Order: sequence, then C-alpha cells, then structure tokens
Amino acid sequence: MFACLHVPDFSVQAAFRCEPQSRRELLNQSSAVILDGPPTLLRVIAANRPARRAGIEIGMTKLQAETCGVVVARKRDVQNEDAAQAALLDCARAFSPLVESTAPGTVILDLEGTAKLFGSPQRTASRIARKSREFGFDLNVAGASNPDTALCAARGWDGITVIAAGEEAHRLARLPLHVLSPSAEILDTLEGWGIRNLGSLAALPPIAIVERLGQEGLLLQKRARGKTVRTFIPAEPVQDFVETFEFDDPVETLESLAFVLNRVLQQLCARLTSRALATNELRLRLELESRQLRIETAKEVYERDWRLPLPTADAKVLMRLIRLDLDSCIFSAPIKKVTMQALPTKLRPSQFGLFLPASPQAEQLEVTLARIRGVVGSVDENGVACIGFPKVLDSYKPDSFAVRSFSTEKSKPGNCDPATPAIAMRMFRPALETSVEIVNQKPRSVTLGKRPLRVLAASGPWSSSGHWWKRPSAWARDEWDVALKTPDGIGLYRIYLDRIRRQWFVEGVFD
Amino acid sequence: MTTSLPVNTSLPMNTLPMNTPAVLRAQIEARIPAAFATTKRPQYKFIPTGVEQIDCLTGGIPLGALTEICGSQVAYSGKTSVLLSLLAQATREGRFCALVDGGDAFDPVSGQAAGVGFSHLLWVRCGKTRQKLKPLEQAFKVADILMQSAGFGLVVVDVSNFPEPFVRRVPLTTWFRFSRVVEKQPTALVFIECKPHATSCAGLVLLVKSRPPVWTGNLLTQCNVEVEVVRAYEKKPAHSVRPSFSLNAQWA
Repeated sequence: MFACLHVPDFSVQAAFRCEPQSRRELLNQSSAVILDGPPTLLRVIAANRPARRAGIEIGMTKLQAETCGVVVARKRDVQNEDAAQAALLDCARAFSPLVESTAPGTVILDLEGTAKLFGSPQRTASRIARKSREFGFDLNVAGASNPDTALCAARGWDGITVIAAGEEAHRLARLPLHVLSPSAEILDTLEGWGIRNLGSLAALPPIAIVERLGQEGLLLQKRARGKTVRTFIPAEPVQDFVETFEFDDPVETLESLAFVLNRVLQQLCARLTSRALATNELRLRLELESRQLRIETAKEVYERDWRLPLPTADAKVLMRLIRLDLDSCIFSAPIKKVTMQALPTKLRPSQFGLFLPASPQAEQLEVTLARIRGVVGSVDENGVACIGFPKVLDSYKPDSFAVRSFSTEKSKPGNCDPATPAIAMRMFRPALETSVEIVNQKPRSVTLGKRPLRVLAASGPWSSSGHWWKRPSAWARDEWDVALKTPDGIGLYRIYLDRIRRQWFVEGVFD
Repeated sequence: MTTSLPVNTSLPMNTLPMNTPAVLRAQIEARIPAAFATTKRPQYKFIPTGVEQIDCLTGGIPLGALTEICGSQVAYSGKTSVLLSLLAQATREGRFCALVDGGDAFDPVSGQAAGVGFSHLLWVRCGKTRQKLKPLEQAFKVADILMQSAGFGLVVVDVSNFPEPFVRRVPLTTWFRFSRVVEKQPTALVFIECKPHATSCAGLVLLVKSRPPVWTGNLLTQCNVEVEVVRAYEKKPAHSVRPSFSLNAQWA
C-alpha cells in the first residue's frame, strides 16, 4: 500500500505555513496569490482556489490581480518552499521511513508493514491528515496499491481517498486529464479528440495511442488504468532543519517578533519530533530592514547561537530561552526576515533513580539559568562566569578559580566525604586596599573602613610569588594572618603586602 | 492539612437566634469554607549540618522552612564554617544546592577543604556586572527565581556582606513570601546574615558567636564557636543551652 500526500496550491500554502492557525484558515478562505519576477513586473505564479474563483489567472500582473478584488499577495521565497517541502517529507517520515519526494508539494510513502502500528489504510490516512495540520498544511491524502494511482487520486480528490486493489481503473475513470500532468502538447491533442477524463483515455486502443502519441501517451494510458509499475525512489533524509519567515511589513516590537518566532519554533520542533530527534544548538538570524540613507548597512543582520547542554525538542523551553535573550537586545532597525536553524542530535536517554533526591528538571534548569543571567549578568570584568559551579584551578596563585557551566546531567553524586568542619574564609573581591603600621617587622595596626584596628596577634609573613616570567601577570606577596580587635569582638583577617605594587591589601576574613 | 473546628448543627438554621455565634459562624462558613479551618504544621525533614552539637540540638536544617544563620560581619563568628559544612553534607546526600552569593565572598578553596561536592553546587555571584538591580536586590531576585524553579534541595542566600541597615529595609512581606513558597517544597532555604530579620517567618534561627581563638606559637590553629537557638520550629531550647564546638584551621 502506498499513500500520497499532495498539498494543493503548494506555493501559497508554503508562504502562509508559519502563520498562526486562525490566520491561515482566514487566508485559505480569501484570495491569495504568489508573485514572482523583477520588482517592476511581478506576475502571479500561484493562486489559491478563492483567487481562481475570483478570476485571477497564472501570469497576470500584480495590478491585474488586484483588480479582481481584495487579494493577499506574497513574493515567492524559494528558500521557504524548500523548507516547506522538507517539512512535508518529515511529516511523512513520522509514518514510514520510505518516502519519495515526487514533486514540490507532493510526497509518496510506502506503508507496507505499518498496518499493525497505525491500523487500516483509512485510519492511517486520517492520522496523516491530522499530523499534517501540525506542520501547517491542509493537504489531500490518497492510498492505493501503486504510487501513481495514489498520486492521481490525491491530485484529483480533496480530503482522504483510499482505493482498494483492483478498483483503480474504475475509481480513476472520472478524474480529469490534468491529474496525470501530461505535457501541454499531448493535453491539447487529447482534448482535440474529445478525451476529457481518465476513463476515456483508458478505453482507447494502446497500439493506436503509441502510433499517435508515442511512449509518453502509452505511459499516460497505463496510469489512467492504474496499472503502472515503477521503481519507488526513497529520498535521503536531510539533516537541514531551517525555517524562514519574511514579514510583509518589517516589525519593530518584540511581541510581534516573538509571535512569529514561536510559530517557527513549533514548526522546527514538530519536524524534529517526527524524526525522533532533538536539538542542542539553535541559530537565529534576523535580517534588519536596510536604511536607504546608509547603503553600507544594507546587510545588517543580528545573529545569535544558543548551545544547550542537553538536547531538547520542547518548543516552549526554547522559546523562553530566546525570549529572555531578546529582552535585553536593542535593534537598530525594524526586523524584516527571520531564519531559524536547529542542529539535530539524538534524543537524550535518561535514567532516574527511585531513591535519589529530587533534582531540577534539565530543560527547566536552562530557563532558570537564563533568567538568573538576566539578573546578575553573564561574566565579570575578568571574564569569569557569574553563574555555574566552582572549580579550583591548579595554581599557587591565591583565589584562583573558574566557574563552569552548571548542569544536572553531567554532575555525579558527591563521593567525597565531608571533612571535619574547619575555619573557612570569606573573600573580598577585589581585595581591599589598606594601610598597615609595622613595628619590629610585625603588623601593629590595620586600617579597616578608615579606622585603625589594633593587631592582637599575627602569624607570618608567608611569602609566595609566581608568573615572574610574564611581567603583566607576575605576582609576589607576603601574607599575614592577623587577629584584630573590632567593636564586635576579635576579627581574624588575612592581609598581604603586594611586593610588586608595594601596597597592603585585605584579602579576606576568616569566618 | 486542614481540620474544621466542631460546630453544633443539630438545630436547623431558622430556629437559631440571629445573633448567636453559631449562626454567624455557620453563615461565614457557608461562604468561606476554610474560614475557621486550622492548619497543622507538617513534620519537617532535616539536612544535617555536619556539626554534631547543632544537629543534636535542632535535628539539622529543616526542609520546607526558612532558616537564618546569623553572625557578626567584622568579627569571627563561624557562620561560614557552618554553612560550608551544611553544603558538604547536602551535596554528599546527592542534593542539588544553590549558593546565592550576594557579596561574591565564597572561597572555593575553603569549600573544597570542607568537602563540598562542587558538581552539585550552583554558585551565583551577584554584583559582578553592571545591572539594573543592586547586588542585594539581585540576591533576593535570584533566590525568588530559584524557589520558583524548584528541584534544589538547599538554597543558601548569603547577604552577610551587606551592611545590616540595608538588609533591615527588606520588607517583611518578602520574608513572608519566601516562607510560604518554601513550605510547599522539599527545599531548605537558608539565609546567612549578620542579624535575624525574618522574625516569625523563619522556622529556625541560629546565632553563632566565637570565643577567643587559640594560637599555637605563631600559628592560628583553632577557633571555638558557640551556638544559640534564637527561634526553633517547635519548642525552643532553654536560653542557657548554648553548645559550643571547635573548628580547626586547615593547616593545623
């Protein structure tokens, strides 16, 4: 059994695929055309059914089309059509791994052996039609015992059609000739003979057809009889998950942009899910409207990459990450076009423990970290991250640490035994400049907050140095641990003399 | 868990005098069913602090409650040592912990020496970049986000670096909100401060003070710390019960 998915008026549907459901339905009921050609002479290359009913024909100029009533016109975007075809293939791949990309807007899939999984052909076709709506298509589905019959049926009838084996010629008989996609010359000849439908073509003697129309005519007749045998050519699954959307009028507000981004993300995630994939890298490209006064900024774009520690296909999580990032952006011009790419990867296998303590959900954690980054910032002035898990660096330089990205997936439960509680230190970052009174080579008083405090006891000096071979980062210091008499009691501080700058600092306080 | 107090409903409503308390109560309960319901406080679970004396006295740090650990800002108190010990215990149990470091004062070397499992610790350094919010506001905002996200077993907010008057200005409603949010989660929310500020919103308040440190020759080797339970989730221990413990220096 083969099934054919045919999208009527493919160019029009591809152009409006990323629109929200309600608007898409509205557009399907009103006249919509696709224009192509040089900007001064745009011509209609595709029109939907209401437009055709209104009298719009292929080849009309934009002005001529507009005289037929209210028309929604879009310029053709080949990239968008390619993305729509890829989405159609992904939609089909949710039902069968063997999918043929027959023509733009038409795919055929081999359903052999899927009956146990999806049920009868009628039920499978219904499922396909439902699934296609998630991808933004309103398509015809037809099932038949051979691919060409399924193709003719999908082109000829709206909605769902299933043709049982042996009934092909009988069911196809009333369909018009154009469902066979004959060449214009043959179509004219057949119409001249008074052949209007497939039944009339099928009834003609084959030898006479070959004599008059050649092998192409015979092939058309075989198709009309539903008796063709041809090699099914499955398409290679593409790993290119890209969706684009071009605004009619460039948008200036984040709400308008977020609306479209959400729809585009949903499309991408639906495609990934249908292939049992997820993404761990998302790329966004926003093309800004070029300003006529500044020609050099004609290609002004905003590009942003999001690398996720965990693969996900959750559109809501991805949308929140993007939204948090875009909230802090200020664009210099209105946004004209959106291109989003998801790099596919395999889904994350996860094993939860029944007796393990609760941990943050990995997808939710990414959003939480992004929100926190929005509050505290990403990196400090030294290039160290403001959020993550700490890591002590293998260095003799005091207070050498790094902050790595935090994830619940990579981390293993702590195996190290907690040590006996010991005196801990609190750091001052950056270290506080101070002045120290030295008597008999020992600190006698330390100034803290413009107030000299008497040193009760001192331990030191503990000398250390490093990076002497790299002058800008060289350090050399004499450390002292001092007990100071403070108004609250005895305070234990670590002070040091920077031997290069000849300046005293308070590094931290023991607590 | 809610239970209703007993109401005498043996008499029909129209036979009762209009001004009796029972009528009034019945009328109110008809409109607001939970108006006279009493809430039973759930039994707390605890995370041990790793300091035996504190664990014996309080059972540890309660989950689903707000805890304050207070100590002096300028003098030695031992609050950070208790905090690191608590983090070490929590990460050892496999809990994910978050440390909201208001003053960027956390020392990873001390944390490593205390046995904190860094892979389970989310460290948020506030006030390191130019942002709209001030560092103290950042700390509270981040704590709010973490409490909303759930999943962390222990959330520590260190605001002890800020001058006490600044923290005092935090509205009581903020503390109340934190206490109400945390009571529905298996999370311990701990604030490190100079003085207690959450008042009745806190389930446990510990005040740590130091006694004079011990110097062996030229080296600081030991500090003695005294703990007072200012407020406890149930009956507060006697004021005179102030256990003390010793903390050794890392080099001792």
